[in-house]
Amino acid sequence: MGPQREEMLTGNMAAAWGARLARAEYVPAYPITPQTEIVETLAQWFADGTMQGKFVTMDSEHSMLTAAGAAAATGVRVFTATSSQGLLYAFEVLYTVAGWRVPLVLVNVSRALASPITLEPDHNDVLAARDAGFLQIHCETCQEVLDSILMAYKIAEDPRVLLPVIVNLDGYYLSFTREPVAIPSAEEAAAFLPPYEPHHAFFKASRPLAQGIAVLGGFIYSYFRYQEQLAARNALAVHDEVAAEFARRFGRSYGPVEAYRLEDAEYALVMSNAFATKGKAAVDLFRQRGERVGLLRLRLLRPFPHEAVQAALRGKRAVAVLDQNLSVGQGGITYQEVAAALYHEPSRPLLLSCIGGLGGKEISAGEFEEVLELMKEAAATGQVPGPQLLYTEGEQTQMAHLLDIAGKEWG
Amino acid sequence: MIRVRFHGRGGHGMKTASRILGTAAFLEGFRVQDSPLYGAERRGAPITAFTRINDHPILERGIITIPDLVLVADETLLEDPLANPFLGLHAGSLLFINSPTSTQAMAEAVAARHPTPARILTGDLTALTLEKIGKAQALSATVGAAACKLAGVIGMGALEKATRKELEELGLPSPLIDRNLEAALLAFEQTPRVPLASAPPQPAPLQGLVVPVYQPPARGTPSVAAPGNIILRKTGGWRIFRPVIEYDKCNQCWICFVRCPEGAISLDEKEDPHIDYDHCKGCLICVEECPTKAVVKEREVHAW
Amino acid sequence: MAIEHAYKKLKEISLEEFILPGTSTCGGCGGLEALRLAHKVLGKNVVFVNAAGCFTLLALFPFSPFKGSWLYTTMASAPAGAQGIRDALDLLIARGALSIEEDLQVIVLAGDGASYDIGLASTSGAIYRNLDFWYFCYDNEAYGNTGVQMSSATPYAARTTTTPAAVLTPEGTELPKKDLFEIWRAHCPPYLATVSPRHPLDLARKFEKAKAFKGPKLFIAYSPCPTGWHYDPGQTPEIARLAVETGLWALKEAVHGEVAHTYIPKKLKSVEEYLQAQGRFAHLFHPVRQEAALRKIREAITQYWAPYLRTMQNAK
Ligand SMILES: Cc1ncc(C[n+]2csc(CCOP(=O)(O)OP(=O)(O)O)c2C)c(N)n1
Ligand code: SF4
Repeated sequence: MGPQREEMLTGNMAAAWGARLARAEYVPAYPITPQTEIVETLAQWFADGTMQGKFVTMDSEHSMLTAAGAAAATGVRVFTATSSQGLLYAFEVLYTVAGWRVPLVLVNVSRALASPITLEPDHNDVLAARDAGFLQIHCETCQEVLDSILMAYKIAEDPRVLLPVIVNLDGYYLSFTREPVAIPSAEEAAAFLPPYEPHHAFFKASRPLAQGIAVLGGFIYSYFRYQEQLAARNALAVHDEVAAEFARRFGRSYGPVEAYRLEDAEYALVMSNAFATKGKAAVDLFRQRGERVGLLRLRLLRPFPHEAVQAALRGKRAVAVLDQNLSVGQGGITYQEVAAALYHEPSRPLLLSCIGGLGGKEISAGEFEEVLELMKEAAATGQVPGPQLLYTEGEQTQMAHLLDIAGKEWG
Repeated sequence: MIRVRFHGRGGHGMKTASRILGTAAFLEGFRVQDSPLYGAERRGAPITAFTRINDHPILERGIITIPDLVLVADETLLEDPLANPFLGLHAGSLLFINSPTSTQAMAEAVAARHPTPARILTGDLTALTLEKIGKAQALSATVGAAACKLAGVIGMGALEKATRKELEELGLPSPLIDRNLEAALLAFEQTPRVPLASAPPQPAPLQGLVVPVYQPPARGTPSVAAPGNIILRKTGGWRIFRPVIEYDKCNQCWICFVRCPEGAISLDEKEDPHIDYDHCKGCLICVEECPTKAVVKEREVHAW
Repeated sequence: MAIEHAYKKLKEISLEEFILPGTSTCGGCGGLEALRLAHKVLGKNVVFVNAAGCFTLLALFPFSPFKGSWLYTTMASAPAGAQGIRDALDLLIARGALSIEEDLQVIVLAGDGASYDIGLASTSGAIYRNLDFWYFCYDNEAYGNTGVQMSSATPYAARTTTTPAAVLTPEGTELPKKDLFEIWRAHCPPYLATVSPRHPLDLARKFEKAKAFKGPKLFIAYSPCPTGWHYDPGQTPEIARLAVETGLWALKEAVHGEVAHTYIPKKLKSVEEYLQAQGRFAHLFHPVRQEAALRKIREAITQYWAPYLRTMQNAK
């Protein structure tokens, strides 16, 4: 294991370090809070010669992601970053570049979507991209951000995959939060991640290639689109190989999911991203008083690790999925995916849905207590209630007060 | 259910013909579907349109693969693999071909080149269209009328109303609509009644679903590594008129070569132009532009 | 860089074809004619970066008509795609991963809808960044691929499927054509020109001349569209000729922002000849003659040419 120094880094700085250690050669950028610090840092590093290649400020995220994809389709390693409105502004390009099968890495710093416009996180932005053909890794810590970016390139560039990857971190809770992060040496990083040399996507005079070509006829489209699906499913095994090598080299290991105190648990929370830390704290409290509660953190959202989820939740009495997102008119998004993964389990747990942390709203210890109560009640009665919004009486009172101040009338 | 398929080229008005039939059947109280099928082509290439007529709700969508009645606007389409008007014809169905050739002669030609269980009928709708409307390609009203007659369930009144409605929707001026109507009614009268029989329901054999496998990215990604291979794709069948070079009049000025948008005219070492008839779409720019009038237009030779 | 070809006579035009026949564009497409001629000057080492439009279907799986390379991007971001490719090629060449012989000229290929409307911000960005690229806008004055809807390049009084000539809008399109040339010129690119397929030598000279410049080289190609403008495909060159001779389409260039006309008609032909040749203007003459609209069209032409014709007069 090589030398790794630790430094206090924000999630954004960790992301920038990830790009730097991956030797990203091309970075098209566009500012948006809370992501901006990433591209500011990279701009500085390119400007002072710390990083080799080119940083270019584009005219929009739509242009930014197009340039990113086109450069990757020409054969260079590309990094870019955005957040929230920016990710959605680039939305059609997500599908477009995934279809080109280019292995770039896009960091998304989650931030809730307008309207109302806000700055704090939830995951509707990144989950909106879940069907696009990008793989998705969701991070809980600043360390994981750096590590996941290095791993993301290695997974993406594997000829069994060749799909772009979104590495996600929460705005504010990670983006602006410093914590100690171990930084691999450039040599170790280079040994882990060799240069990118594509054989399927390039532009050169001697071998003309028409990329991104139109097709007509459903059977042609189906073939290419389904190749993306097969590539993404390949990424499950590739992820595990890459994670194993990463652990060997750097001593930190990551699974497609993380099981926290789950083995003997009767009840489980399912969470993702930075708020999973709060969930773990709640689990510790429950455990202290002898409650058998654990937590499953979803890390690899695409490809969705069905088997890992099944294995982790097998035999639990009740499970609550805490979605920090809302599919309006449906409910929690990951709830549906976890439910689908568990459907064929012979004795599947009762599955509850909670919506919490929208727009960065705190999820307090008391709210975790309520969630446990809901699970216990469900286990006792065999009845699963409809989705529960995590929103407290105190918050409700405060909100009423604000509505009064805003001059909002009844009726 | 009566399933009708129209084959034409862009500009023949086959979408409108399918709609005239659709609207007329609708006015007669049937349940109806009509739809055109567009390919990549902007104009000129073969197009197909469909009408389904039923006395109860139609549980079908999209293209008609087993038609009871097929109308072909231009006999050059018979040979066009892209159009493939013979697809799915059965013993009960009728293949109507717009052509001056007699039914008898056409049936023999078809039997010799492309045997089909279907019955054949011809009618010279182009002549009628030329005479009444003045434009050989404006076939929507006459082909629509022939379709109405052959469908067997539509009266003159419904045809008239439907034709007027569809042409008004296209924004045609009313004198032109009147001329179309006159042509349509004549076409309706001239076309004989031929009993159609729907194809018996087909058993659906298992198709054999594959288990898709991941292919190495150089192969499994949507790109084309064979530059210029579009040459394999022929567009010569789009032509209604063919430009022909009269070499004794050609003074090797290069104009036809320069103006051809397709690059379908090349020059030999004597600087004589040669037209690539596999690809010439028949735009006739060369005919218009040749300063010595050495390029003349000829009606496409009919293959059948 | 020395000018290789003077393009003084037609016989200097390359005999080699770089876009092979068999594509799905309409017969008589003026845009394709212009592109073909431009390509002959540019040669085969190009990569087209395409925005959604009629020409997107030039390359249609499993076929490509090009001897060079191609990337379809989106409707709005082809110039950004050009940025990515240009930058990546430069990086690869700089670090020796690609030899200089492998380099390509990067060409945005976009219709007027993409160029004048949805992709304007992306183009502005690329010109602003002084990207070394070519931009070929085939201007058929409407959204052709979607069935001829109005774009901001549609001229005043043309009928399109979204600007019908109707009771409340007798002229059809009510707004004048956007002046993309001037919008682009405001960025002061090294080279900017209008071309027409009917003037192949003017076109070839401009592409040849532009080769000497590093940075944005921008072209707006007048692209008669038989399908959208409603005339017989064989008339494409004649329509294009009339556009220039009536003064509606000015052949010009701007080097570092300095405008020069490359062809000034000796006497402007009556614009009515041009309008009457196309179905999209038929409503200006039938069932009643729309005198006010015709006057407006004439006045716009006179106003455009007044300063240049005066200069010509003075020069005499
Ligand atoms: C974001 C987006 N909006 C709309 C479209 C639909 N669209 C495809 S081609 C096209 C017309 C393009 O017009 P133009 O740029 O003038 O080129 P032309 O079709 O005339 O060649 C449109 C609107 C699209 N592809 N993408
Ligand atoms: S619609 Fe017009 S621009 Fe488009 S391919 Fe046809 S002629 Fe060319």
